[in-house]
Amino acid sequence: MSMVIEIENLTRKYGKGIGEVVAINEISLNIEYGEFTAIIGPSGSGKSTLLNLIGGLDKSDSGSVLLAGRDIAKMSGSQMSDFRRDRIGFIFQAYNLIPVLSAEENIEYIMLLQGIPSVKRKERVQEMLFLVGLEGLGHRRPSELSGGQQQRVAVARAMASKPEIILADEPTANLDSKTGMALLDMMRQLNEDQGVTFVFSTHDEMIMKRARRLIHLRDGLVALDERNSNATP
Amino acid sequence: MLLLRMAFRNLFRQYRRTILTALSIGGGYIVFVLSVSLVEGSYGNVIDIFTKDSVGHIQIHRKSYREKPKTYLTIDNRKELEELFHKESKIISFAPRVLSMALAYGKEKSTPVKVLGIDPNLESGVTRIKEKIFSGDYFDSIPNADGYYKAMIGSSIAKSLKINIGDELILIGQGAEGSIANDIFIVSSIVGNEDSFDRMTVYLPLIASQSFLSLSDEVHQYALLVNTPKRNVEIADELQETLSNLEVAPWQRIETTFYQTMQADKKGNNYTLVLIVFLVFVGVLNTILMSVLERTKEFGVIRAIGCRPSKLILLINLETMFLTFLSISLSLVIVIPMIYWFANTGFLLSEPIDMGGVMFQHMRGEFSLYVFLKPMIIIFITSMLVSLPPGFRAARMTPKNAMDIN
Ligand SMILES: Nc1ncnc2c1ncn2[C@@H]1O[C@H](COP(=O)(O)OP(=O)(O)O)[C@@H](O)[C@H]1O
Ligand SMILES: [Mg+2]
Repeated sequence: MSMVIEIENLTRKYGKGIGEVVAINEISLNIEYGEFTAIIGPSGSGKSTLLNLIGGLDKSDSGSVLLAGRDIAKMSGSQMSDFRRDRIGFIFQAYNLIPVLSAEENIEYIMLLQGIPSVKRKERVQEMLFLVGLEGLGHRRPSELSGGQQQRVAVARAMASKPEIILADEPTANLDSKTGMALLDMMRQLNEDQGVTFVFSTHDEMIMKRARRLIHLRDGLVALDERNSNATP
Repeated sequence: MLLLRMAFRNLFRQYRRTILTALSIGGGYIVFVLSVSLVEGSYGNVIDIFTKDSVGHIQIHRKSYREKPKTYLTIDNRKELEELFHKESKIISFAPRVLSMALAYGKEKSTPVKVLGIDPNLESGVTRIKEKIFSGDYFDSIPNADGYYKAMIGSSIAKSLKINIGDELILIGQGAEGSIANDIFIVSSIVGNEDSFDRMTVYLPLIASQSFLSLSDEVHQYALLVNTPKRNVEIADELQETLSNLEVAPWQRIETTFYQTMQADKKGNNYTLVLIVFLVFVGVLNTILMSVLERTKEFGVIRAIGCRPSKLILLINLETMFLTFLSISLSLVIVIPMIYWFANTGFLLSEPIDMGGVMFQHMRGEFSLYVFLKPMIIIFITSMLVSLPPGFRAARMTPKNAMDIN
């Protein structure tokens, strides 16, 4: 099977001199199309840094990231933006919706960036809201939604652009365990039904049990890369 | 449109600050419009006063007359010329003039004077000569029983020759062919005061001046008024094309010193305007910078989901343009009636002011598209420029760095 993400000798350091922190230390790993992978590890182990580097939100010090065969270091600012817009969906720990836009508009916005005509956008917004179980709440602003609902909007926004990869950085961290679990089930459903590759980070035991592959990070290194054959359905 | 809606809502997020910024943009615009209106209005006023004192908007002479004002260098195809003036709708009035120097004798003294032969009817259609009569009556071209023509004299002549209305005035000069010219005239009125440009001028009826200088029906000068004084240069150029054997000059070329003084004055006013724009600039820059800094994290998210850097700059720009548009639109509601009043009624100054040698007391603005448009364009361009640096700053950060900021 072909790789959607190929990482080679990737390194990211912060600071200089004695204060230097190697957040990602020469990591190499590949992720196939359609995988449902969790990056796990204690706080400070480099999970966010790795996801940011994969999504081109941050710049590495050395090594390379290939997305669908393309070296992201070789893309210009606009090319990287367009790649993210069309092929990557992001879900962040803090819900990170645009506060002045309603749930619907947040979902619509990314399609606006893609240049999708208005009528089609509106249709797809409703589809997405249905998919994440928020029918009828589309007109609410983020501040009028609960944490779990906001994170569902974030998932809907990430899905709306029909990406190949969704990168989610501790998407359940700010949710209670029941809501978190529900969100994860929804993500896995989308993975199974639509074949979207998911890479998400977590340090929650219950959540990681849902993943099919577990990449353990420790101090910026891959400590263990295991297949979870008995992932809870 | 989603983008506009977004810009609009972003503006009302910090509505108090937005209102303050809107006030500074709107206030700046109003002050700007007022000063442009004032400058244009008062210069328009000064030009009007100045040109209608004597020069007119356009003057026509025989070629080379202005360099070497010889009496024989006359315009002699008057009929043809005046037919053209009547036909040309841009010309509203014209006045033929004969110019010369002479020595004037009163009862016992003499003084050199300027002689200006005018057509009594046509002249008053171009200048305010009629209103400038200090004493006596505006003259006509009819000689008295003894065959003497009337003359109107400047105040200084009356004073230095000690002559008054009804007295005789003897002029001695040089005729067109070099012969001695002399004639007697009866003073019919005294013109202006001792500050007037014509304090040493003797006005004669055109025919009297022609016979005094042994000229046939020839003149030295035509002064014209045009329907659009602001376009007098263009109109002069057009006329010049058809009148190739004459010199057609706008007043700006006749009265160069006055024109240059006025231009310099205008430039001085421009510095005031630059200051206004600068103040608006600083106020707006500050707000935009603040609102961009506060939303760094949000811009990080927008960039993360795939907004191009250039689009982000556009988005920030759009917000500023939108605010500027709203501020100016609201200001127009206030400033249009204000300028309308200012242009039509205006106000009287307690003390007359001297602008380039012309005194005026009635301040009036100008009401024209230019007055509203020039400040609008400048403020739009300024606020666009102002929003660029914060936009670039937001676009240059990596999304990760932007999102890290709290
Ligand atoms: N902006 C930053 N400046 C300095 N150090 C940072 C920065 N971001 C992350 N780090 C450091 O990099 C390491 C990995 O951080 P991170 O990727 O956020 O870990 P995780 O997401 O697993 O908690 C930590 O030691 C953290 O302190
Ligand atoms: Mg993290």
